[in-house]
Amino acid sequence: MEVIRNIFDLSDIPRKDLTVFGIFSLFLLIFPLIPHSSFAMATMIEFLMFSLYGMGWNTIGGYGGQVDLGKAQYAGIGAFTTAVMLIHWNIPFWISAPVGMIFAIIWSFAIGYPLFRMRGHYFAIATIATSLVLLDVFQSWNFVGAAKGLELPLKSMPSLLYLQFRSDTYYYYILLFLFFFGFFYINWFRKSRLGFQLRAIKDNEEVARSLGINVHWCKIKTYAIATSFVAVVGSFHACYNFNIDPEDIMSLDLSILIAMMAMVGGAGSLWGPIIGAAVLIPLKSYLGSWLGGKEGLAGLDLVIYALIIMIIAAFEPRGIWGIVEKARKRGKI
Amino acid sequence: MSAILQVQGVTKDFGGLRANDNISFSVEKGELLGLIGPNGAGKSTLFNCIAGVHPVTAGRIFFEGKEITNLKPHQVARLGLARTFQIFVASGDLSVLENIMVGSFLRTRSRKIARQKAEEILVFMELQEHVDQWVSELPVAAQKRVAMATALATQPRMLLLDEVAAGLNPTEIDQMMGLIRQIHDDRGITVVLIEHVMELVMNLSQRVIVLESGKIIAEGKPEAIKQNPEVIKAYLGERYVAKIAEAEGKA
Amino acid sequence: MGAFTSGMIQSIVSALLMGMVFALVALGLTIIFGVMNIVNFAHGEFLMVGMYACLLFSTMTGLDTLASLPFAAIVGFLLGVMCYYGLVKYLLRGPMIAQLFGTFGLMLLLRNLALLIFGSEPRIAHHGILVGRSFVIGHGIVLEATKLTAAGFSIILFLTVSWILNHTKVGKALTATALNAEAARYMGIPTERMNALAWGIGGATVTICGALLVNFWPVDPNIGLLFTMIAFATVALGGFGNIKGAFYAGIIIGFLIYIPTFWDTTTMAIGDKALRGIHLFSFKYTFVYLAYFLIMVFRPHGLFGIKE
Repeated sequence: MEVIRNIFDLSDIPRKDLTVFGIFSLFLLIFPLIPHSSFAMATMIEFLMFSLYGMGWNTIGGYGGQVDLGKAQYAGIGAFTTAVMLIHWNIPFWISAPVGMIFAIIWSFAIGYPLFRMRGHYFAIATIATSLVLLDVFQSWNFVGAAKGLELPLKSMPSLLYLQFRSDTYYYYILLFLFFFGFFYINWFRKSRLGFQLRAIKDNEEVARSLGINVHWCKIKTYAIATSFVAVVGSFHACYNFNIDPEDIMSLDLSILIAMMAMVGGAGSLWGPIIGAAVLIPLKSYLGSWLGGKEGLAGLDLVIYALIIMIIAAFEPRGIWGIVEKARKRGKI
Repeated sequence: MSAILQVQGVTKDFGGLRANDNISFSVEKGELLGLIGPNGAGKSTLFNCIAGVHPVTAGRIFFEGKEITNLKPHQVARLGLARTFQIFVASGDLSVLENIMVGSFLRTRSRKIARQKAEEILVFMELQEHVDQWVSELPVAAQKRVAMATALATQPRMLLLDEVAAGLNPTEIDQMMGLIRQIHDDRGITVVLIEHVMELVMNLSQRVIVLESGKIIAEGKPEAIKQNPEVIKAYLGERYVAKIAEAEGKA
Repeated sequence: MGAFTSGMIQSIVSALLMGMVFALVALGLTIIFGVMNIVNFAHGEFLMVGMYACLLFSTMTGLDTLASLPFAAIVGFLLGVMCYYGLVKYLLRGPMIAQLFGTFGLMLLLRNLALLIFGSEPRIAHHGILVGRSFVIGHGIVLEATKLTAAGFSIILFLTVSWILNHTKVGKALTATALNAEAARYMGIPTERMNALAWGIGGATVTICGALLVNFWPVDPNIGLLFTMIAFATVALGGFGNIKGAFYAGIIIGFLIYIPTFWDTTTMAIGDKALRGIHLFSFKYTFVYLAYFLIMVFRPHGLFGIKE
């Protein structure tokens, strides 16, 4: 009972924030009903996907302060599990996604155990290294399509079971369900025992140990939680895109983008990943489509991205949410 | 009374430097013990060896009859031996109450119970007025109390306090003394103090151990320690011994 | 001499030469890390800048690519100093996570600026006295002039940097800053300027390396990451901040990257069909990533480092 109450307990959040989030949620709920372009819909779906990626990253990266730049490998494990199970055994999404999640968690434990013997930069670089190793393996593993990747067979009829729809609206609502599920999970997580212990670890590992916290194990557990989020979205990605290749779903670019959501939005806060995705994804989409049409401007969108990251890193490491909280302390909002 | 902590021949080397040299002592259940000595005497190193931060080079340590030599810090804490740090690094992300809750979460998974326990300790440590503040915003004295409260929240049977009175003014030292006495008397927790503030150690401790250059040079009741020429020499050097004697004579 | 022996000698020589080049890639990273304990995620991008700078210089002036080395060095030095004053200085005030993301933003910036300016197609130096030239030293063993020169410069630069650090006033000030920045400041060493200098020297060594590399390695905007990873693995292997260590570690990395070549030569000699069916070339760099991972887990102070 207490757990259920805790999941929906938002009592520590200012009323203003809740109102804004309420209005935003309402907008998300009715978005498919208001007239929109298919491009806007695709952008919204990407926004939801990256919010979820970001929420996952935020557990270990934000609350735990462990900068993980190898999350794409788990998106790949999720995506390829779903694809392979569908192609070879005709297994529906709702079974293959949890299986993919379990594979991802097993892998995360296997590499998390040695990974968390490192700290700081060394850890961050090592996460990239592990991700690249797995990418190399997938690129030459014929069972998962090697470098070409896999194409998912189309069902003749739209199917909720296999997560194949003709209209993006269905994908949208499935994701929206996952989005709220993820949001309330994180809301519970941040004030759970593990959440508290993790924040203590981020501040000072030595003090955390003296309070009876098994620092290494806490990090590994949280890493697995972050991994679950990413793996499920990876599985979804496979069904939504029909086409996956390792260069795309397991690239460093994706890992980085995942980390950026929370970093730019505000690492270690409930709203961070959502704000980050809401700012960065439309920016990327619209900037990309606007500049993509112009000859010789490829890369300019990412230049702007890069400038945003550098400015945030240099002047407000706590991201957009950090700016809001600072302003609030001065009594402006 | 039986021994709650037994330290048997603990030696700790850092490279070529011997920080603790064959130290043996025991702490009785319910005792309030002071551990003093000049800077660099190896007091904090000894705490760190007991709490599992440093592996010992030689020797054995027992807590409540169980061997805790070279256990990990979190394992020692779980057994009921808590400690504070000399330099308390302020927590950036957690409020005062939340900090204490981190401690109380050691004994429960329930947020509600952890919170109740934390609130009780918050009041006990006279931190009510700071409940929602960040630790970094607090004055030093309150920060020290937060550190103690957090350690207390793990429900220890023994508490190691590392210089909790350093940097406090006389009023705050009085308050701190009252709190330590309450922790010991009312809560029945065995306390070991490392302290440079003599007033506090000498007033509180039932027994004092003096460390110098990694060795125990004296042990006894506070009154006896105060008179011990070895101790005065260790602290102040030869030429002060005479001066002190002179001053005492006048008083 | 049999085909196997000469094949092996050829591979060993190539690995050795490339190893020295990788060491030179890592030199700048280890200098910067040694002085101020910060890692530069954009290190591979600095290399890329050197490669493009060399190409640009030789096309615009019509001079040999070798003549572009001073130009590349100046570009690298300025780039390093600019990055320090424009970005890194601010990052140092924040938490570690900010340093990571800041230099990481720098990497994205340089990479995409290159894409914007030069496009995505790979480029390589086509003329120059070194390009395409090689020495046959008998038994079918070939030394490419480009790699030989790069390896030679690697030795020269390592010796120069070591000499500067150990025997000049500036070098000693740098070393003092590396050992204890606060103490150095009290001694009147302008630590801020020393940091900038470390970035400048680090930048210059890696752009020189880029200018040498582009003679035999095509450059494209995405090339940086690979070299960043190689440099990190090298620096980890040699011990962070350890300059001599970086040189030997670079050679080890060279041999790691040549594992597939050694494997092929060996399986060819054995002639076993099943073994020859196994191709390791797609795992060329996997060994480097694994090396980083394993070294950090088991020997975090480097292969030659002393445990603190």
